[in-house]
Amino acid sequence: MDVELLLGIGRFVLATTLILLLTVPTAFIVIQLELKVIAGMNLRIGPNRVGPSGMFQSTIHGFKVLAKEDQIPDKADRATFTIAPWMVFMAAAMSMLVIPFAPGAIAADFNIGIVYFFAIIGLSVVGLLVAGWASYNKYSLLGGLRSAAQMVSYEIPLTLSVVGAVVLAGTLNFTELIHWQRDHGWLFIWQFVGWGIFYIASLAEINRTPFDMVEADSEIVAGPFTEYSGMRFGFFFFAEYVSLFIMSAIMTSLFFGGWLAPWPFPAELSGFLGTLYGIFWFFLKTYLFVFAAIWMRATLPRVRVDQLMGMAWKVLLPLALVNLFVTAIAVVWLNL
Amino acid sequence: MTATEPREGRVRDPIDLDAAEEARLRTAAGMIPAPIASPGGEYFGFDTVSIPDRPPQTERERELYTLGEGEMLVNMGPQHPSTHGVMRLVLKVRSEVVTDLDVVLGYLHRGIEKLSENATYTTVLTYVDPMDYMSAMHNEHAPALAFEKLYGIEAPPRAQYIRALVVELNRVFSHGLMMGFLALDIGALTPILYGFINRDEVVEMLAAISGQRMLFNFFRVGGVNWDVNDEFLSRLGAWHAKELRNVKDNEALLTGNEIFRARTRKMGVISRQQAINLGVTGPNLRASGVPFDVRSAHPYPPYHELEFTPIVQEHGDVYDRYLQRIAEIKQSMHLIEQIMDKMPHGPVQAQVPGIIRPKPGRAYAAIESPRGLYSVYAISDGGPTPYRFRMRDPSFVSLQVMPVLMPGHLIADTMAIMASLDPIMGGVDK
Repeated sequence: MDVELLLGIGRFVLATTLILLLTVPTAFIVIQLELKVIAGMNLRIGPNRVGPSGMFQSTIHGFKVLAKEDQIPDKADRATFTIAPWMVFMAAAMSMLVIPFAPGAIAADFNIGIVYFFAIIGLSVVGLLVAGWASYNKYSLLGGLRSAAQMVSYEIPLTLSVVGAVVLAGTLNFTELIHWQRDHGWLFIWQFVGWGIFYIASLAEINRTPFDMVEADSEIVAGPFTEYSGMRFGFFFFAEYVSLFIMSAIMTSLFFGGWLAPWPFPAELSGFLGTLYGIFWFFLKTYLFVFAAIWMRATLPRVRVDQLMGMAWKVLLPLALVNLFVTAIAVVWLNL
Repeated sequence: MTATEPREGRVRDPIDLDAAEEARLRTAAGMIPAPIASPGGEYFGFDTVSIPDRPPQTERERELYTLGEGEMLVNMGPQHPSTHGVMRLVLKVRSEVVTDLDVVLGYLHRGIEKLSENATYTTVLTYVDPMDYMSAMHNEHAPALAFEKLYGIEAPPRAQYIRALVVELNRVFSHGLMMGFLALDIGALTPILYGFINRDEVVEMLAAISGQRMLFNFFRVGGVNWDVNDEFLSRLGAWHAKELRNVKDNEALLTGNEIFRARTRKMGVISRQQAINLGVTGPNLRASGVPFDVRSAHPYPPYHELEFTPIVQEHGDVYDRYLQRIAEIKQSMHLIEQIMDKMPHGPVQAQVPGIIRPKPGRAYAAIESPRGLYSVYAISDGGPTPYRFRMRDPSFVSLQVMPVLMPGHLIADTMAIMASLDPIMGGVDK
């Protein structure tokens, strides 16, 4: 074996490990944000006992689910029941591989990074469907079927909304896409409709309010997660919040210039300092979107299943197609 | 009839009956002549006839538990996040569309009416508090009025005004919480907390006058326990000044919200005639356009001295029932202003002996609770305890709309429609 291949494998293993390790603090931070932000919007105090002003509440939640008893229902299909949380969590974790945090700080800089991302994030629906089926519970089954219907429907406008941006920038690579945005301006200006569709569809894709049909607690208890306990439930829970972070991160990269500051990148910042500078802007923008999603959760009611599906097929899909069509014509005629 | 013989209409244990005798008794009891074998059937690997674990006993049960093509039964409650306590629904669903539904009650039954028959008239008022726990003041109001009729006294005017005051305060927080529960069942987290913040201010105020935060035990036969005090009045002033703004905050989250409107308009429509036929009362009836309010139709003091016209809505859907609650909060605020303006001076308690022994007779008193017509029927045999004591709970009656309304709606709407009817299980199960 040549050295280059070994180096490549080593780099991949290192990057994957780092990404897997990154999911844990990310989930903790997002959960903590949600606890505190929603508390503020509800005029509550929120967690304030664990650590200074309750900072470690979500960490304690994490340890709590680790320490809890792991129960499997008698009539559940043990093999699939066991594997489902793993599938959902890995789908979320693996899609983090292509997120460009800063110049040079990207775990795997594929030339088809965008395709890879949408392929992997779509896998989580399999896990949810399996969890719903394997639990031997009617609420789980309804939740699993809802998740399948919802995520498969929303994947189409979600992907189509990005194609406009891809056509415009002429690349499927995240780093090149961000370089294009550095030269031409952020894509949400060019692709305003595309960004709107992406935003709505991404909320539905990760089951956030107002599209949290899958675990609508007032209707189907907790959907596919009803029968899960202990760390298996913890994995679902983690995956959900990691997905929220990932979708915000991807939106930042695709439409809001990734690691770019709102003004030109200072030339004197290169190497490690430049990476830090990029990471700062990247996380600032990402957590703004995370905040917006939490804000919506505190404000909006939940839409109904049929309204949700109607929106995907009757509004978002035609709009995404029109957007793609107009973008393609503009690119060809105006030679953008 | 001896004690060991079953009363007419009851079925003895069918084990030692011959078939003809069993069929006769079952028919007499309104059941189908012979138990039917379970229909059986599989749906996605689930044993669909697991509820209940006995063969159906009546035509209605057979209809509900017999599954058609692609149908399954979903048991919702009594342990479910949004069944408002301990209600149990058995839904028959085809995919997510509810085709039939049965409401199973009795999980919170405490036998309050029977307990009351063993309590003196004064102590009955402490038993009825936890019935409809969201409007404890109204629970006390109806029996207090009935016992006063039975005993032939009337509360002094100031006591009547204080009663109306606390009852309207109770109505405001009850309606506020209903808006929150409706929002919660539709998936919005915040309004319920605003509702509870508002409730906390009101119950602190009522605690200042009665000494209790939830089960107030404030009414007495012939008056109320205490006169208004300084703490109550200062809390009332502070709360009154900002309450309308609180309602506005809640409205800003829901009334104009596009998702909320899409979820609630044209949902669970109770027509005018349907509402009257099914005996629905209170805000649910008025939301269907019937201007019936006990406070104006059969006014009890002091409402005949107050300016009051019932508010109605047009369509009778979930959204109108929500709007009706908001309108009634504002109306109650207006009534509270009037009560404070007109409140006379004088005693708050009539001269009543410690143990009341009314002459034999019957009395009926009805009031308007946040959920509708709340009434008490009491019979006295001359002793210190009521001979019979019955309460008509409006949420119990509201619930019988459910099986009529629900077929054709989705599971998600079930929750919204149920929350819009605002049943309180403590009152339903008594």
